This record gives sequence, structure tokens and C-alpha cells, in this order.
Amino acid sequence: MSTRTHTESLTVPRRTRRRSSPNRPAWEGPPTVLGQTGKSVALILVALAVLFPLYTVVLTSVSSNATVNAAGGMVVVPGEITFSAYRQILSGGIVTRSVVVSVIITAVGTILSTVVSILAAYGLSRPNSLFHRTILFVFLITMFFGAGMIPMYLLVSGLGLIDSLWALILPGAVSAFNVLILRSFFMGINPSITEAARIDGAGDWRILWKIVLPMSGAVIAVVALFYGVGYFNSFFNAMLYINDNAKWPLQLVLRSYVLQGVTLPGSGAGQVNVETGAVTGLPVKMAIMVLALVPILLVYPFVQRHFTKGVIFGAIKG
Amino acid sequence: MTATATQTLTTSGPDTPGRKSAATPKPAPGRKLSLRHRLRRDGALLLMVLPAVALLIVFAYVPMLGNVIAWLDYSPYVGIIDSVWIGWDNFARVFQNATFWHAVANTLTITAFQLVFYFPIPIILALLLNSVSTPWVRSTIQSIVYLPHFFSWVLVVTIFQQIFGGAGLLHRVLANAGFDGFDLMTNPDTFLVLITSQAVWKDAGWGIIIFLAALGTVNPEQYEAATMDGAGKWGRIWHVTLPAIRPTIILLLILRLGDALTVGFEQLILQRDAVGADAAEVLDTYVYYQGVINGDWAFAAAAGLVKGVVSLLLVLGANKLAHLFGEDGVYRKS
Amino acid sequence: MSTLGTRRAMARRTTAMIGAVGAAALVLSGCGSPDEQGTSVASSDGAIEETSLPAYVPIDAVEPDFPGVDGSPSGYLELPDPLVKGFDSPPGSGGEYTAMTPLWGTIPPTSGNQYLDAVSEAMGTTIDFQISDGNTYGDKLAAVLASPKDMPDWISIPSWNVPPRFGTGVDKLFEDLTPYLGGDAAKDYPYLANIPTDAWRACSWNGKLYGIPQPAEGNLGNWFFYRDDLLPDAELPTDADEMLEFVEQNTADGHYGTDDLWNIAQIMFAVPDKWAVGDDGKLVSKFETPEYRAALEWTATLFASGAVHPDAIAGDTSGAQQRFESGQVLVTGGGVGYYHEALTRMRATDPDFSIKLMPVFAADGGTPVLYKTPAAGICSYLKKTDDEAQVKELLTAANFMAAPFGTEEYQLLNYGVEGVHYTPGEGGVPQPTELAQTEIQPTYIFLVGAPIAIAKTTLPDYVENYTTWMAQNVEYLTEPPFFGQNITEPSQYASLGQPFEDLASDIARGRKTIDDLDKAIETWKSSGGEELRAFYQEIYDGAEQGD
Repeated sequence: MSTRTHTESLTVPRRTRRRSSPNRPAWEGPPTVLGQTGKSVALILVALAVLFPLYTVVLTSVSSNATVNAAGGMVVVPGEITFSAYRQILSGGIVTRSVVVSVIITAVGTILSTVVSILAAYGLSRPNSLFHRTILFVFLITMFFGAGMIPMYLLVSGLGLIDSLWALILPGAVSAFNVLILRSFFMGINPSITEAARIDGAGDWRILWKIVLPMSGAVIAVVALFYGVGYFNSFFNAMLYINDNAKWPLQLVLRSYVLQGVTLPGSGAGQVNVETGAVTGLPVKMAIMVLALVPILLVYPFVQRHFTKGVIFGAIKG
Repeated sequence: MTATATQTLTTSGPDTPGRKSAATPKPAPGRKLSLRHRLRRDGALLLMVLPAVALLIVFAYVPMLGNVIAWLDYSPYVGIIDSVWIGWDNFARVFQNATFWHAVANTLTITAFQLVFYFPIPIILALLLNSVSTPWVRSTIQSIVYLPHFFSWVLVVTIFQQIFGGAGLLHRVLANAGFDGFDLMTNPDTFLVLITSQAVWKDAGWGIIIFLAALGTVNPEQYEAATMDGAGKWGRIWHVTLPAIRPTIILLLILRLGDALTVGFEQLILQRDAVGADAAEVLDTYVYYQGVINGDWAFAAAAGLVKGVVSLLLVLGANKLAHLFGEDGVYRKS
Repeated sequence: MSTLGTRRAMARRTTAMIGAVGAAALVLSGCGSPDEQGTSVASSDGAIEETSLPAYVPIDAVEPDFPGVDGSPSGYLELPDPLVKGFDSPPGSGGEYTAMTPLWGTIPPTSGNQYLDAVSEAMGTTIDFQISDGNTYGDKLAAVLASPKDMPDWISIPSWNVPPRFGTGVDKLFEDLTPYLGGDAAKDYPYLANIPTDAWRACSWNGKLYGIPQPAEGNLGNWFFYRDDLLPDAELPTDADEMLEFVEQNTADGHYGTDDLWNIAQIMFAVPDKWAVGDDGKLVSKFETPEYRAALEWTATLFASGAVHPDAIAGDTSGAQQRFESGQVLVTGGGVGYYHEALTRMRATDPDFSIKLMPVFAADGGTPVLYKTPAAGICSYLKKTDDEAQVKELLTAANFMAAPFGTEEYQLLNYGVEGVHYTPGEGGVPQPTELAQTEIQPTYIFLVGAPIAIAKTTLPDYVENYTTWMAQNVEYLTEPPFFGQNITEPSQYASLGQPFEDLASDIARGRKTIDDLDKAIETWKSSGGEELRAFYQEIYDGAEQGD
């Protein structure tokens, strides 16, 4: 905070300054009681609103069937605890293999989508450029007009992508929404910097690589996050295009656990041996929900770092 | 490169926050650039958009041609080529049903309501979090508030049912205090508030991400400068913070308006029986129950096209509106 | 805020709901009992001739403890010993074929699966399964059938997933099996000839044999269940009013009398599935019948009485099993297949848990009228091919898969390999191993099934109660018009019945009144109902004359 001395004279003299945290920037002035309590109350409410249901979900996932029945649904007061639901889901080799499939698709897909989107967004960041509006509309229209399920299937089949993991990556690779977000941020960069580079003889590729990208860590992280989440959570495409059960991604496999134990009349197949303390129904559904949160819980902190990392100051106009 | 050199001397006007200025300076007066020249200047840009455009052409536009079935008496067994042309019949079927207009009315009501009560929430939340100076508080809240986004709608409705339903937590608390018959989940009159609350709970926390990214681009020096100029807390928000996220807000607002005819689907189907079709019918559920559920692909395609055209018009309209307010919007003609 | 924001995501989600909603309606029906509410039979123009249907040559491998009566299922308390050997050597010719089946359950591995390998070896034919998520099976089917080159050799199509206008496409896509199985030709495949004729009829289209059936669990699909462990010695209702009293009596602090009973109310009041025949030979739509009206009024009274659990009022069908099994509701309506599911699930943690099907009664207390439900809930079809040898080998495989209860092959198909997938327990009852739970899931059963044998040997009370209940109901069964016929309706009438679904929900919950039913009927008539009636009338008159 090199400019602290400059503004310090504006702050209230030390002896009457209310308690303010060392993190508080000097220009903010002292915290008011009303302000602090207001903010705290709001934040606590927000946190509770999310944490309480989350708590019931986690608790239900580790409750036995007896506890769930006694509670009549989601469990609020802990009863019998068992990790059987997790054991059942994670023990079959199918889940582990599907995790690998999902990770591959997400990694490849996110990188592909992010790179392609960055290029497109920069390519659309100069309103005067050749064909600018036409190309913009090419993206915009895809946001409002879609294709039916059957034509998509026929296309994917025609391209020979049935049963290929590329069928889970390519059709959704470009999201016009994400491109527009990137474009909006790129266009917000102070033009004098890019102009300065241009005078020095840099072409568009150089400018993108050396100037725009380093300054856009936050928005790129956001877009990558959006794409990543999209790829990881998708299951409908896999259901439609992948016939080989060995290539199923995680979400599709997890869904199949929800109605576990439903058997057919004359068949002994598909029985869950409840004698061994296995659980069915609600705890399994909740366990799947919890497992679905694990990847994002792992990834989000890394992404979050980019928001607060900040950018090269002075580079953003204003 | 002399052309570019002279152009830099005529950079566009003062950069007020929020105004997207053209990155390329205008040409010297009286001089229009030739196509070849523009190609040379912008060639790199065209090359950059190529991969994305190619992907869109193959995977978005080619299958989009399948929407031609909206004008056909389409059966998957007959195929597109051999299906009979019936002109606008499918479109007529979409409009003629009495429920159609009711569904549209419901849809627009929900959009309007949520524009006021849902759209600003992520912004407010982002600003709130941004103003928290203690890092651990900020990052903790940030790390949990987005989680409901990953719950399925089935789970969200179940959770609401367990708390606000007729056999739920609140009901029991109120019953003990003597107020019987509390059931928020089956009341068609409060349905609007209910689904908006559900949407806020589920997605507001995820929606702050984009604003946090935008807020991260603000130079703290600007805050100091504003304080020096005498701005208080609200003044700073008005003059520094909001302008920084204004482009994002405008973009999202325009896109949301374009999306005005989409207000949720799974969420509404799950609660259809609880409050009745009158309250819960929106355009997408109408198309589903009238068309999709019966494998009436042509009907669904026709409805989709109508919706798409209207949405596009809405976006263009919203964009024009933004121009009137001095914003650049999604794109600008000049 | 949508992060993808594309129409495509919307369209996908939209179509994904087809299966989800359909499956939700099935939750209490149990797989295998087709939903009686009319999502099943699409239709053709000609009912199949008796001579085209496979000859029926019943085989009794084992003497049942509770013999079936006139088509009701037989019950067995023990596994027979020794098992009858159906085939001396693998009957297949070593071919390998692909098959697409749905699954509501954990996906088993499809390669390196000892169960599948063992069956393939014993059968002499390898079936490579492409298992698809049951909830979205309708979507998958729609896409695959639109792209014939992607169709597998054998496809399972449950009756609730039959694509609209299937009758118009079945000729092009699937093999006509009449030459292979019609009449005495079926005797080449003895276990297929063992399947009741009505089941074959339910899988026939346009007067020809196309589908191979999985026989249904009984002639009546759904009824009232109650917790007889919590209500021992209860005086069970014998008419609709007593039913209301019964559930109201059993609503006390913390628990409710019942869940949503609209579906069963229609059975109680003998509401026809689609059409009834008036005295003048004219068809009356189900919605116009006094029975439908009475059922609606009864349901409205039920909901207003406060005996229905609020979550059921809120339309939460997915939690219905939970509510019933935890004792939060004491009566529920469900598919008959739910009986053994619930017992199997609950007995391990609660050995006293018990449910029963209420004895059937009519709304007015008189002789019940029960409309037969289709005899096959799932049919499978062979892809059209010029290769006669392929068809024959697949039919031979089907013959193997249809081996009845009491044969070694049945044991293998249902329980796997002894020592690997199960160990014989008391009374010969197979105890599944850990491996069985991952490897053995319903696969072959979706292609063809043997006639239902009620043989849950771990649940002897179920076997007795269920078979007795089914046998008792046989005398009340009657065939509705168009029974067993697959008729393809013109597509413009497909959504005519939809407003009644919403209306029923509204009337039950007091949002609308019975007067609105009259309005809805008028609307129905003027927006295509009369034309639909004429369409069916023609078929009905044609069939009548043909007799």
C-alpha cells in the first residue's frame, strides 16, 4: 500500500478511530456499528441458508435406513450412522473407471473450449473489424435457436462419433454465452495499452498472447470454470451417444444408483443384499449428491484465487 | 504501417468508466478503407474466430436445419425427406390452444418478477462480499454459497418441501404454537414468491462468480481517489464499483431479456401437481405436454422456432434500449 | 443465471423429462406392471389372427404350491431339487449380437462379467448388451429408431416407452416373426410356446407378430396396499365410503392415513382404460363415464378430509415409497410388483415389517369389475434383416432365455453361477454373494421372460398372499374394448387427454370443481374428441363384424 501515507491524513486520528482490522484499506474509513452488524447479519443468514440444508443432505447420506424412516425423510437429528451408501457406490469398479472417463472429458473439453473461446472472443473484440457484426450474429443466434435431439443424433452418427468420447466434447465445445463474457472483458481493456503495443509493431497474435491474456486471469478462470462444470455434470449426451457402458462418465453411472434395488417380477437379478447392512433409497440419493459436490469443492479454491489475484493496475481503464 | 501510426493520433474521446471505446481508431476523415486493407488489418482476427465458427457451423447450424420439420408432417419412420409439407399447420397448432396464451402470460409474469427480485441478488451479494475486509470471512462465504447450484432441482424441491411443506419443519413449529394448516408448497397464490426463492437459493451464489471477477479488475487506487474527492461509502460504490461491473450487468441483462421466455422447466414440472397447471404452466412446459411427451417433434420444433425468433427480437430490442442509455450493449452499429 | 445459456441445453433438458416423468409415474407401479393410465398400448389397424399367434403349449417343470387359476400366476415355496435340465448342449450357433435394454439400477460391467459370460456359454450365443438409463430410455429409443444404421440387433421396448406412431414404422425397422413363430412353427421353440397367448398378442402389430413378450406379473396391475403389521386385525373396507372412513380413522398425530390414491380410485370405480361400450354399441370416452366422475368426486373428498399426507398433495411421487415404508402413511396405492420389492427392502432391518394387498372391492360394495391389464408389459424386437440364420439364432437364444422356473437355465439366468454368484442357503434358497450385486442386473429379462413364477422363497407369506389374491380376482376380470390391440392413433389427437390429467389434479386438490369437468369434456369433444371416437368406432365395429 505505497500510497498509504497520502491518504492517511484523511483518516480519523488514532485515538478516536474505532477498532478496524488491519485488512481494512485506509480509504474506507472506520467501520460503523450499523454497517458491521448489518453486514454480519446478512452474511450469517446467507451462510445458514446454505449450510443447514447441506447439513441435512450430508447427515442423511450417512444415516441408516432405520434412521431415515424414523425421521420421515431427510434426517435432522443424527441417529444411526453408517457409511454404507458410500461404500456401495465406490466399491464397484465401474465408478472408478467412470471417474477416469469424466476427468478425461472434462480436461480435454475445458482446454479445447477455453482456447477456442478466447480466440473467438478476441477476434470479436474490435467492433470495426471485418465482418464483425456477421460473425457476432453467428454466435448470438446459437443462443436462441437450437437443434432437436433427433437431428443432433443423426449428425453425430453421420460423423461416426457414436460411442466416441469426442461426441461428448465437440457438440457443446463452444458456448456463445461464454464467448460473449470473454469478449466483454477483452473490450474493457484500456486501448492505449494495445495501441502502444501496436505502435511498437506487435500484431494481433502477439497482443493477445503478451498483453490481453496475462491481464485476463480472472475472467478466463471463470469461463474455464463454467466450461469445466458443464462438461463434468453432463450426462444426457453420454446417455444418447455412448452405447458402450465401459465408456460412461461419472454422472451417468451415479444416476443409475438412484433406483437401486428395483427388481423385476420373475427375476432374482439386481438384488441388494440388505442383510449386510446395505442401504437403499434416500441415503444413496443423498450420497450421490454429496459425491457430486466433491469435484467442485476441490477445484473452486484454485479458481477463486484468480479473482482476488487482481490484475496489473493501471492497465484497466478508468 | 503508416496508416496505423497516423490513426493513433486520433484516439477516441475521454474514457469514462463503463464506456467501451473502440479499440481501433476511426479512419482519417474522408477515407474509407478498402476491403483488402481491412482484410490485412483484421486477418488475424478472422483466423482467430475460425475454430469456434467452424465448430458452431458443424454442431449448431447443420443440425439446426433439422428444424425444417416444423413445416412438415414429420414422422421419424418416414424421415425428413419424405415427410409431407404442411406449411404453417404446426405453428397454428402451437398458437391455437387456449393454454398457449396463458402459458405465455405466466412466463412473462415470472420473468418480470424475477428481473426485480432475482436478477439483482447476485450483484448485491457480490458487492456485499466485496466489501468484507476480513479475508477468511470472505473466502469462507464464497466457498459455500455457490454449492446449492450443484443440487438437482429434485433435491431443491425436496428440501423446500421438508421445511415449508404441509408436513415440514415450519408447519410443526407453527402447529405447536397453535397455527395450523401452514403449507407454502401448495399455494398457487404465493407460487411466484416460492419459485423465485428457490431460484435465488439455488443459483444466486453461483451467479456472483462473474461479478467477483469483474470486481477484481478494479484498481484500488480508484477508491482512494474517490475518497479524496469526498466520496463516502455509497459514493464509492456508485462512482467506482458499479461502473466497473456495469458492462457485465448490461450484457447479462440483455441476454436475460432475450431469454425472457425461459423461466425454468424441471423446477416447474416437479411442482405442477402441488399448485396446479394454472399457476405452473409456462411456455416450455406447454410445449412439453402438448408436443414432446407425445413424440410430436414437429410441434416442438415449431414452438422452438417461434420462441427463438421472439427471443432474438427481444435481444435486439434490449440492445437498442441500451444504446439509448448511452451503453454499448452487446454490439453497436458504429 | 444460465451459464451455458444455449437453446441446446434447454432442448436437451426438455426431452430428458419424457422418461423422467414417465418413470416417476411408475415408481409405485413396480417395473413390469404397465401403467394402466393409457401410456401403453399404441395400436395398429388389424388385430392379429388367432392362427398367426404362436401355439400355446404349456410346460410345467415343477408342481406349484399355489397353482394359478385361469391365468393367474403360480406360487412356489421352494426351489425344486433337482433342477430340470432344459438343454443338453448349448443350442446357439456361436453368433455375437448387440442388444439394447433399459435399466433402473446400478450398471453392471459388460466385459469381464462372469455372469454374462456363463450365460453366453450355456446359451451358445453371445449377447453384447448396450444398457441404457431407464429414466431416459424413451429419448434414447426415439433417437436410435430414427437412425436405423445405429440400431442394435435386438431392442427392448417397454410399453410405456413405445414411440408414438410406432405402428407405422414397425414394418420398416423390425423383422416380422409370424413366419418363424406363427401357429405350429412355435413348437420349434418350446419355451416360447410356453408363454401365454395374450402376452404374444400384446406384442403384435398390424396383424403380425413382431415383439417377443415379457409376461406381466398378473392380470391386475395396481391396488391398495396397507401396513398390516401396524394395523393388525383391522376391519378392512368393503366399499368406497368405508375406505374413506378407514383412512380417516388412521390419521393421527404424526402419521397420515394415505398417500395419493387417484390411480387406484379409478380401478375401484371401474373406470375404463380409454373407452367403454354403451348399450347402443357406441363408444363412450372414459372421461364421459359416470364412473370417472364418481372417482373424481371421491378423490376430492379424500383430499379434503385431511387424511392424505401433505407431501403427496404436493405431488411428491418419488417419496411415496419412503412414506409408506416408514409408517408415515398406512395405506398406499401401487403396482403389484411393489409387494415383493418393499418386503425385500424392509425385512432386513425390520423383520416384522409386513404389507398386504387389500381384498378387492367395488366402490358400491357390489361385485367388483376389474379390467384386465395387458398381458405383457415389455416386448423386444429383432432388427429387420435378410439373414434368416440370424433370426433363427436369436429366436433360439430367446427360447433359452424363456426357460421356465424349475430349470437349470432359469436358475442360471436369475441367480448366476453357484459358488460364484450365490451359495445355496436354507431350503435351497440362493444367497447372493457380493459379486452378484455388481454383476447380476436385469438384462436378459428385458428381452424375453418366462411365465411369471412367484417364487420369492425368502418371503413365503408373500408367495401365499399374492397368489391367493390374484386367484381370487380372476372371476372379476373382464376384457376392456380393444384389449390386447395395438392401435396407432393419428398424432393430432395425441394430446387430447392431457388437460384431464391437470384437471384431475386440480379437482382432487379443490382448486377446481366437478363443473369444470363438464367444460373440459365439451372442449375435448370439439377439439378432436368426436373424431377420435369415430376413429375407434370404426375399428370396433370392424372387429365386431369379424367375429
